[in-house]
Amino acid sequence: MNTHTPQARLPAVAPPQKKPRPPRARAPIVPAGSVTGRSLGVVIGIMVFLACLTAGAVYIVNQSASAWLRDIASEVTVQIKPEGATEEVEKTANGVVSFLNGQNGIRNASLLTLDQSAELVEPWLGQISAIKDLPLPRLVAVQIDRDSPPDITTLRAALGTKYPAAMLDDHRAWQSQIRRVTGSLAMAGLAIIALVATATVAIVVSAARSAIASNRDIVEVLNFVGAEERFIARQFELHFLKLGVKAGIVGATAAGFVFLSMPLIAEYMSGAANAEYRRLVGTGRLDFMGYFALMAVVVVIAAICQLTSRYGVRRILDAQNQ
Amino acid sequence: MIRFENVGLRYGLGQDVLRDVSFHLLPGSFHFLAGASGAGKTSLLRLLFLSIKPSRGMAYMFGKNITKSPPGQRAELRRRIGIVFQDFRLLDHMTTWENVALPLRVHGKRQSEYAEDVTELLKWVGLGDRMHAYPPVLSGGEKQRAAIARAVIGKPELLLADEPTGNVDPQMARRLLRLFIELNRLGTSVIIATHDYQLMTQFNAPRLMLENGRLHIHG
Repeated sequence: MNTHTPQARLPAVAPPQKKPRPPRARAPIVPAGSVTGRSLGVVIGIMVFLACLTAGAVYIVNQSASAWLRDIASEVTVQIKPEGATEEVEKTANGVVSFLNGQNGIRNASLLTLDQSAELVEPWLGQISAIKDLPLPRLVAVQIDRDSPPDITTLRAALGTKYPAAMLDDHRAWQSQIRRVTGSLAMAGLAIIALVATATVAIVVSAARSAIASNRDIVEVLNFVGAEERFIARQFELHFLKLGVKAGIVGATAAGFVFLSMPLIAEYMSGAANAEYRRLVGTGRLDFMGYFALMAVVVVIAAICQLTSRYGVRRILDAQNQ
Repeated sequence: MIRFENVGLRYGLGQDVLRDVSFHLLPGSFHFLAGASGAGKTSLLRLLFLSIKPSRGMAYMFGKNITKSPPGQRAELRRRIGIVFQDFRLLDHMTTWENVALPLRVHGKRQSEYAEDVTELLKWVGLGDRMHAYPPVLSGGEKQRAAIARAVIGKPELLLADEPTGNVDPQMARRLLRLFIELNRLGTSVIIATHDYQLMTQFNAPRLMLENGRLHIHG
């Protein structure tokens, strides 16, 4: 017998072996694929995309409106009626400018030339040579010191007493209109977001019902091994939370790209009117706070997914256990 | 441990499935629950594992009135009961080890606390080399033993088994019966629902006989 086999050369006492580690429970109790399908993810992603577009648009409009209001609030206009001879009107206008420049809280008052006044009415009347022949009022642009603004009512009264042909306009009507329009847009945006949230709730409730139906065997086994309803609900809600976060990030990222490329889109779509568009909504890009608002939408939708599935599953289990 | 007083059961507006069922089982007891198909065995078992509530009468388990138990109390009571289903009800997406560990995971125990117990129990029921296998690849006997291991891993005070030998050969049936007897010796009350009279002759235990929804106790 050959005693020089490799086995024969092994030491008599085997080296101590590592104790095998016990298996670990890795599988989720409810498999993800049976709870949240890809189509549900796509639907929620689209919901988040729409909600983010709405939130971003409302944010941009609000920012632009705030900028307009700031500009308007720092400037007032004085109109001088074109009554009497031109020289008389010119004299009154120069007097108004001098008077205003001498008042506290006014940084600068300057008289607009007739050409500048004509440019202002050009969008309505067109480029016609007769504009300058029209009895246009003379306009004085007044820059207000924002840090110590004058009392407009007192200023208007003083100006009216000294120069009856001069009328001070603080653009209050414009301001209130802008506020009303932006307020309406914000409400419309919130209504759209609320609709998206409601639709998401309905989708998640329906998906939770389907998930429980397709995992009825697992729910039964969990019941029989003594799982409480909240434990069972947690197994489902974790999947819905993950889905909400994933779909939310995809939807918000897509919306973020839209806002990033907004200047290009605006240029392509508005063409020659691009300058007007920029005047209305600025660059159309979101700032840091705007992107933060998009992230907030993701958080809200993910929370809706989690909480709706939690209460949806618990209600269904309650009904089954009655 | 279990006390039923004139318990009746009917599903919806149908006929009575159980009529005036009364019995009292003590802790550490061993009973067979027998009767022909349709006699009400499964319905009585469903009452015992709190899947349904009686239509009439009073039923107490572990001192609690189960006719009025809210869902939270039912979950608490179920943790004291181990159930072996005729169709095993193992979760196919989990390994045998994970299936057996499920009750402890559900009860909120940490894996480090129970990992070795689960492994030891699986070895004890002869599934030491099948811990990583998934139920679809297990044989009927292996599934049955895995289901039994899952039922007893939480050291239940009461073990209910519905036709536990219905899917296995006589040799495996005897082996499983020995397993139940061993568990009973360790202090677990056992109720085995079966229509296998040969199995009942292998161990001398009182029989709860169901006939047309009425219960008679023999032995």
